[in-house]
Amino acid sequence: MLTTLPLLTILIFLPLAGSLLLLPLWNRVSLARPVAFGVAVAELALAGWLYGSWQTLATVPTKLPGYLLLEDAPWIPAFGIRYTLGLDGISLLMVMLTSFTFCAALVVSWKSIKERAVLFLTLMLVMESGIMGVFLSLDLALFYLFWEIMLIPMFFLIGIWGHGRRIYSTIKFFLFTMFGSLLMLLAIIALHLLHASQSGVATFSLPELLHTQLPYNTQLWLFAAFFLAFAIKFPLFPLHTWLPDAHTDAPTAGSVVLAGLLLKTGSYGLIRFGYPLFPLAAQAMTPLIYTLALLGIFYASLVAFAQEDMKRLIAYSSIGHMGYIAVGIAAWQPVALSGSILQMASHGVTTGALFCLIGMLDERAHTRDIAAFGGLWGKIPLWSFFFLIFSVTSMGVPGLNSFVGEFLILAGTIKQAPLVVVLSFVGIVLPLIYMVRLVQEVLFQKERQPLVLPDLDLREMALLTALLLLNIWVGVHPAPLLDMIHLPVQLLTGGAP
Amino acid sequence: MTSADLMALMPLIILAGGSVLVLLAGAIKPGSYLYELAGALIASALLWSLLVPTDAIMPGLAITPFSRFFTIFLSASGLLALLLASGYNRRRDITGEEYPATILFALTGMGAACAATDLLMLFLGLEAFTFAFYILVAIKRDSAKGGEAGLKYLLNGTLSAAILAMGMALVYAACGTLSLAGLASAGRSQEPLFLAGGCLILLGMAFKLSLVPAHLWTADVYQGAPAPVTALLSTASKGASLAALLLLLPLFGAWHGLRDILWVAALLSMVAGNLAALVQINLKRMLAWSSVGQMGYVALGLVAAPAGGTRAALFYMVVYAMAGLAAFGVISILSNEEECDDIEAYRGLGYRNPLAGGTLAVAMFSLAGIPPAAGFMGKFAVFSAALRGGEISLALAGILSALVAVYFYLRIVVIMYMKPAAGADESTRTRTVPEIIALLVPAIVMVLLGVYPQPLLALLERILP
Repeated sequence: MLTTLPLLTILIFLPLAGSLLLLPLWNRVSLARPVAFGVAVAELALAGWLYGSWQTLATVPTKLPGYLLLEDAPWIPAFGIRYTLGLDGISLLMVMLTSFTFCAALVVSWKSIKERAVLFLTLMLVMESGIMGVFLSLDLALFYLFWEIMLIPMFFLIGIWGHGRRIYSTIKFFLFTMFGSLLMLLAIIALHLLHASQSGVATFSLPELLHTQLPYNTQLWLFAAFFLAFAIKFPLFPLHTWLPDAHTDAPTAGSVVLAGLLLKTGSYGLIRFGYPLFPLAAQAMTPLIYTLALLGIFYASLVAFAQEDMKRLIAYSSIGHMGYIAVGIAAWQPVALSGSILQMASHGVTTGALFCLIGMLDERAHTRDIAAFGGLWGKIPLWSFFFLIFSVTSMGVPGLNSFVGEFLILAGTIKQAPLVVVLSFVGIVLPLIYMVRLVQEVLFQKERQPLVLPDLDLREMALLTALLLLNIWVGVHPAPLLDMIHLPVQLLTGGAP
Repeated sequence: MTSADLMALMPLIILAGGSVLVLLAGAIKPGSYLYELAGALIASALLWSLLVPTDAIMPGLAITPFSRFFTIFLSASGLLALLLASGYNRRRDITGEEYPATILFALTGMGAACAATDLLMLFLGLEAFTFAFYILVAIKRDSAKGGEAGLKYLLNGTLSAAILAMGMALVYAACGTLSLAGLASAGRSQEPLFLAGGCLILLGMAFKLSLVPAHLWTADVYQGAPAPVTALLSTASKGASLAALLLLLPLFGAWHGLRDILWVAALLSMVAGNLAALVQINLKRMLAWSSVGQMGYVALGLVAAPAGGTRAALFYMVVYAMAGLAAFGVISILSNEEECDDIEAYRGLGYRNPLAGGTLAVAMFSLAGIPPAAGFMGKFAVFSAALRGGEISLALAGILSALVAVYFYLRIVVIMYMKPAAGADESTRTRTVPEIIALLVPAIVMVLLGVYPQPLLALLERILP
């Protein structure tokens, strides 16, 4: 029986083990690529199997309610750190997103990464391990460890294979995230010590720490540190300035992982750790989070409108979309939270696809300047078709995935904060403006420069088709996914399951 | 002296006798075999401490688990530094038996300082190894920089030795005993004479540990000394000094001023070291300033000593030593006729020389405190202890200066992996086996301790009194 295996450990360490497989292939790129892709596909298959059998797994109760799989072992008793992993519906959705995104990132970079390709593949697999760890850890120290580990490959990815001011961007990215993380580290230790002084048990385990009685002021300080770390990753206005730079200068695969996954670790952290650990503080800070989210939505949309670089435009649109996810989390109510979690996956797919498309165009035209293009609809119809679909998705058109999440977020929030919802509705119109402008200029405008552009090849078609199918699936029939996250969301928000 | 005492003392005897042996052998038949001889002697002292765990108490010296741990740690560092030196000295034309002999002598002094039970032996041990470093720093006689560094180290060092000796004299005048145990139980820690002496001792130790305000020698000496010497100076000598400081701290009893002094030293070291390292363009100078900052974190652990900070400080020191050995080791093996310490010379190193580049990168991540390198666990230990001890503002200052430090450590990684190589300056000299070992060992230890620090933490818990 497969479930007797330590599946979560395998999920985390399979890519890492795969990266070791690449070592003997250091000079044989043509062999290393399929091997790395094979590892990523194996990971995807495992995630797919978990999705296929989550209902069976749910029938077997674990020690923690809502969790499908748990693993626990002592690791560093001297510090009270345990190796605790847990998989619930939310983690499973993130695991699926992660394994899929990495397959997509490997496919999209198949030909574009030529120099030091094996190093690139190794770093990708290491990063997959780190991100899996973030989504599966239930021990705060372990979580923090993975949280930091996933930064290193991304740092190299942007710095080595990036464009433009890649070094500036990658250092900025690293320092921004480190700033928040280090303060969160202090907060994690402080929480651990407070718990130890109350209960006499030195532990970093999340289920244990949830029982810590914290006075309001302490909660506020600790939550502020956690929130800062997560808000930088999110990124929330005004901590977002690293993101446009990092996105613009990252290689396509880096942008896909950054938008698809790294931003989600911020929202995931807020959902898994920030809100449950410090409910009073979170409640008190809700107005602030709403404000920052709304400011982000409006500000990012306006700035996106002024961009000349397509990638930068999508990067800013990302900030706006993440703002909705923040609104849904701040409402801390089952419907809105489900919407936010679903939107995390949807945004990963949609923005990931847009970055793939722009990357493909960039490989052909060697520019991402909006003004350089025009009339692509007639020239490269396949590319244009996918670009149109995903742009429309990004605008939140019903039947495609973004709509479902945004609708749930707004529907869930309206009771709590009607004014926020009204403003958010206004905000929804803004992507319409800048995306329509983008589509109009790039696809339908008169041709401005005589560019010779070949249309999509089979590999690119396959990738985009897979992304499109996911997009439509979530857009038309999100119920299975919502079922999957239903119980954990109920437990988190304190409602009856 | 019984035979059991001799057994316990054997590592020190091997090191001290070995030093004389190497000198004599060199006088009869000079040659590079002396490095192998010295290496074998250090290795046997190390193995003896590891395999024959005998405790003994003698006048002035006590071989305890604490001192044995340090003998092992210091010998291992000495061995790695010697591996680095054998090739480096050949390339840079540093010949003669005095190098390996002095290394052995330095290790003897360090071993004695860690095992001391009275002030006299402590002073003797500390000054013995400092004396050895006066020679080692200036061992390249025709190098102007080496001479300058040697002179600076000598002048500062003798001043600090004088301060240390004066402090010990005052303490002796106040209590009438030199025994550490006697002094700790004398309970005179509130008397002005004793405190004056104690503070002078602390100042002397701050010099050895490069803690602000006694840190100014560090950058010049680290830069001017041959890289393998700096490797040893920045790791083993710091480790031995920390051991000596740990032996001295109980003297102060519950005097709250100790905490205040360490608090200020920790804060200033963390801030000044990390800020000054930001602007360095010479790798050795940068590492020197960064080591001032790193010692600040060790002091942060000591501030929180009542909350278990001692173990954290020791763990931090071991981890720091590995990173220092790795970083200065890379500089050593890259240096040919000239010292390779200009940051720009490291452009593209990660691809030119994957082993050296990878090792230096791991060392940088470790020093920056980014997992999975061991430096993270060190920072984790120190900050846990600091928060447990209630030192919240100092911990905050520490974490913010750690953020500053991330920048200059990353800069090295950026230069190695993300900047185009500046011409093919690197000779394709094949790496010798000792060099590969000297780089691989600290790199592997750093990763292992970063992933699974439990055994070392448990060991440190056991050896601390």
